[in-house]
Amino acid sequence: MLEFITKLFGRDNGSKNVAKERLRLVLVHDRASISPQMLESLKLDLIQVISNYMIIDEANLEVNLDSSGSTVALVANIPVKGMKRNAGDA
Amino acid sequence: MANSYSVSGFGQDMAADLDDLVDEKTILVQRTLRSGQSIYYDGNVVILGDVNPGAEVTAKGNVIVMGSLRGVVHAGAGGDENAVVMAFHLQPTQLRIANHITRPPDNETVEADYPEMARIKGGVVTIEFFQTAGERQGKNI
Amino acid sequence: MGEVIVVTSGKGGVGKTTSTANMGTGLAAMGYKVALIDTDIGLRNLDVVLGLENRIVFDIVDVVNGNCRLRQALIKDKRFDGLHLLPAAQTKDKTAVTPDQMRDLCAELKNEFDYVIIDCPAGIEQGFRNAIAGAEKAVVVTTPEVSAVRDADRIIGLLEAAELREPKLIINRLRPKMVKQGDMMGIDDIIDILAVDLLGIIPEDEMIVITTNRGEAVVLDQHSRSGQAYRNIVRRILGEEVPIINLDESTGFFKKIKKIIGLG
Repeated sequence: MLEFITKLFGRDNGSKNVAKERLRLVLVHDRASISPQMLESLKLDLIQVISNYMIIDEANLEVNLDSSGSTVALVANIPVKGMKRNAGDA
Repeated sequence: MANSYSVSGFGQDMAADLDDLVDEKTILVQRTLRSGQSIYYDGNVVILGDVNPGAEVTAKGNVIVMGSLRGVVHAGAGGDENAVVMAFHLQPTQLRIANHITRPPDNETVEADYPEMARIKGGVVTIEFFQTAGERQGKNI
Repeated sequence: MGEVIVVTSGKGGVGKTTSTANMGTGLAAMGYKVALIDTDIGLRNLDVVLGLENRIVFDIVDVVNGNCRLRQALIKDKRFDGLHLLPAAQTKDKTAVTPDQMRDLCAELKNEFDYVIIDCPAGIEQGFRNAIAGAEKAVVVTTPEVSAVRDADRIIGLLEAAELREPKLIINRLRPKMVKQGDMMGIDDIIDILAVDLLGIIPEDEMIVITTNRGEAVVLDQHSRSGQAYRNIVRRILGEEVPIINLDESTGFFKKIKKIIGLG
């Protein structure tokens, strides 16, 4: 009965929210996967920024979009070879 | 029309009637034509099946549909005004004979459940009940 | 000089053809000269929706191939002298026309008509590229479903890439009751995601089925909500400011009760 009443008054989280969330997630992928070029230029920018602080293995650097559950994450695997001495001073 | 043609068995030899169709160019299509399919033939077309809306049959000669004709049909596409269109159920989207184009009247659906034949009579396309041989003979006797 | 508008959606069955027919009929009813182009070669339907299927002699492929003049292929509507249809070919495929040919065709029609409205086929292949080639403005049709909105998003991206900026959105088949219950995405949800301007909302309505069955346009029906919705869209195309009627706004009895017992 309570279920009926909550449904009646629209307090129940209807299926639209599920739809909206799923759509959001799908669109992040759709929109992101449009251009591999974009990912490539992001990679180059990352290398540039990180190189200010550490020495990294540019050849084995990986950048990808990943999703787990209801979130999308930018996953970067950056092998570090060593730190720069005067990191942060510059 | 060719005239190396005769019929026999009537007790006497008979010359080919000019009204008879004497032409070897005829194809037999043994399937239903669906929307988007079309047939063009430089002669007569006989279809053992239906011609659905959106399908087109174009023939330089006659078109005979042993089924329902609901698509667009063009007989006498080379300009032959003697060409005819015959179908068991004649309900074309559009019917053309030679240079005449006709379509069914708006807001009027006449569903005849007998064979009909369309041909040009006195300059206009007319559609009439197609009498089968048996009925014709029955009336004559 | 007229305006060339393409009606597109990505997903099939969301109401592109119905919307094209109604916008065209609505504009013609207000006295404008309108040409509708069906670019869904091989799967034409705009002719049937307008009730003009039995008048087709030449089609768009005949025009671009030079088998006939453009004027010969244009079919005049039954009701409005200003409304014309250039039908698609049914027995050819999408590659029978090229984007360049479409561009020329639209340029020619623009000289003579106030509005040229192009009904785009579903999909993003050549038929889509043909349809948008000559267009200056775009209308995207969607329904409140995940699949349709996702495809609309893709289409908006492709339109922008083709320099057709700021497409306008029609949300079709909205069911206010379901939105109210939280079981259907509402106007705000969809606009939120797609971030485009709204051209109009069409409620789910039996009258659309009934009028389409008869080959008539619901925009001429004075009593239905969908007819009113299409008339509003027509006025917005003409540049009038017509407020969007928020169909999913909960009004009436239940809202009042909710307020009284403090649930709202």
